[in-house]
Amino acid sequence: MCVLCGQMFSEIHWSERLLDPQQVSQGESETKRRQDRYARTRLIAKVLAHYGLDISDDWSATNYVLGNRKGVQLVAASLAEVWPAAARMAGRAVDPLDGALLRHLRRLGAGSDA
Amino acid sequence: MTAAGRRAVTVLSGFLGSGKTTLLRRYLAGHSGAGVVVIINECGAVGVDHHLVRMVQEQSVVLQGGCVCCTRREDLVGELRELLDLEQSGRLAPLRHVVIETSGIADPVPVLFSLATDPVLRHHFAPASVVVTLDALNAAAQIDRQPEVRKQIIAADRIVVTKADLAPREAIAHHRIRVRQLNPTAKISVSRMGDASEVLAAGAAADADADADHVRRLPADYDPGALSTHAGVRSIALGFNVPLDWPVFGVWLGMLLQVRGPDVLRIKGLLDIGDAGPVVMNAAQHVVHPPEHLPAWPAGADRSYLVFITRGIDPARIAESLETFQRAGGRSDLRVRELA
Repeated sequence: MCVLCGQMFSEIHWSERLLDPQQVSQGESETKRRQDRYARTRLIAKVLAHYGLDISDDWSATNYVLGNRKGVQLVAASLAEVWPAAARMAGRAVDPLDGALLRHLRRLGAGSDA
Repeated sequence: MTAAGRRAVTVLSGFLGSGKTTLLRRYLAGHSGAGVVVIINECGAVGVDHHLVRMVQEQSVVLQGGCVCCTRREDLVGELRELLDLEQSGRLAPLRHVVIETSGIADPVPVLFSLATDPVLRHHFAPASVVVTLDALNAAAQIDRQPEVRKQIIAADRIVVTKADLAPREAIAHHRIRVRQLNPTAKISVSRMGDASEVLAAGAAADADADADHVRRLPADYDPGALSTHAGVRSIALGFNVPLDWPVFGVWLGMLLQVRGPDVLRIKGLLDIGDAGPVVMNAAQHVVHPPEHLPAWPAGADRSYLVFITRGIDPARIAESLETFQRAGGRSDLRVRELA
């Protein structure tokens, strides 16, 4: 737990563990953590758009906030919690092998290249 | 001890009568009093004469909402915590290595799951490798008929074909092919009277040079079209033309394992993420070992690869999905190709 902001860190996702998980991130490592985090959130936003959902970071960049078009929001404490929460909100499995999702991502890529 | 200062844990598995205890006895004979503790789930026909053998009764608890690999091995969690207590109170010499010999029909993945998720154990113990023994005399029938044997082979980092002195050479060559079909990443040793026991050593699987050697050999005898006869179990080895984007890879793999975890039986590889050294990936079902970032490329290995063993999933779809995600995440020039 962070004594300053009261954030609980119950789990560090394996993909965020290339930085030393025993160290409090600061300076350069905190910049790197934020950059990686931003890249992750940006990609997840592209994926979730296919399911009519959006995602953003909370102020401390430790939790993810998922939302749908009805204004419902869910907080996910780690990347591992994002996908079950998204599936609940979307009412269907959020599957990276789904052909329609892959076509959606390719269309986005083609759009940004143009 | 591992590099991170945690105590190494080797999981020794293998079907009933496949020579686990013989291998273990031989290993202990050479490592007596060296901080090695053995946890045994069942009493075999061959006794283990070692002063630090602990017998435990298997107690598995399936977590609510979890699949089979989300089974917590309460017996092992309790035993390992007790070992820590004994060590820290000075009643046990410093622990360096724990060998867990599972019962013949046990699935090794819940052992890894328990180590990775227990809030105390994960700071003190690190899985070193899963070693699986395969009886050279009975392997063919056991692989065909026993789903437990296939699970053990898929979860293995190392396979030891035992009783090699009793089986014809052709049979052993055939077993190698069958094992490679199920798990192209496993290193295979052949043992006579337990003489390959050093595969149990704490540093055996963490040996980066051995890994590199294995990568070199992978394309030579790996048949990418090899389709196992077992319930749609297939494997694919993927290579990449440019370094992968690590945050994007984390998102993709996390998502894949969340939805398809029970059918992604194994992932193993060495990934170039654009740094000086690669990242070692190892996952058994959806239990992902914390990725290890090597400071430099191991000798002999100079390229990324990633092997997937799946059940009921078209491996080509995995390659397509990984490439699409990487491109959507900014690596627009990345191409994923099947290693041949």
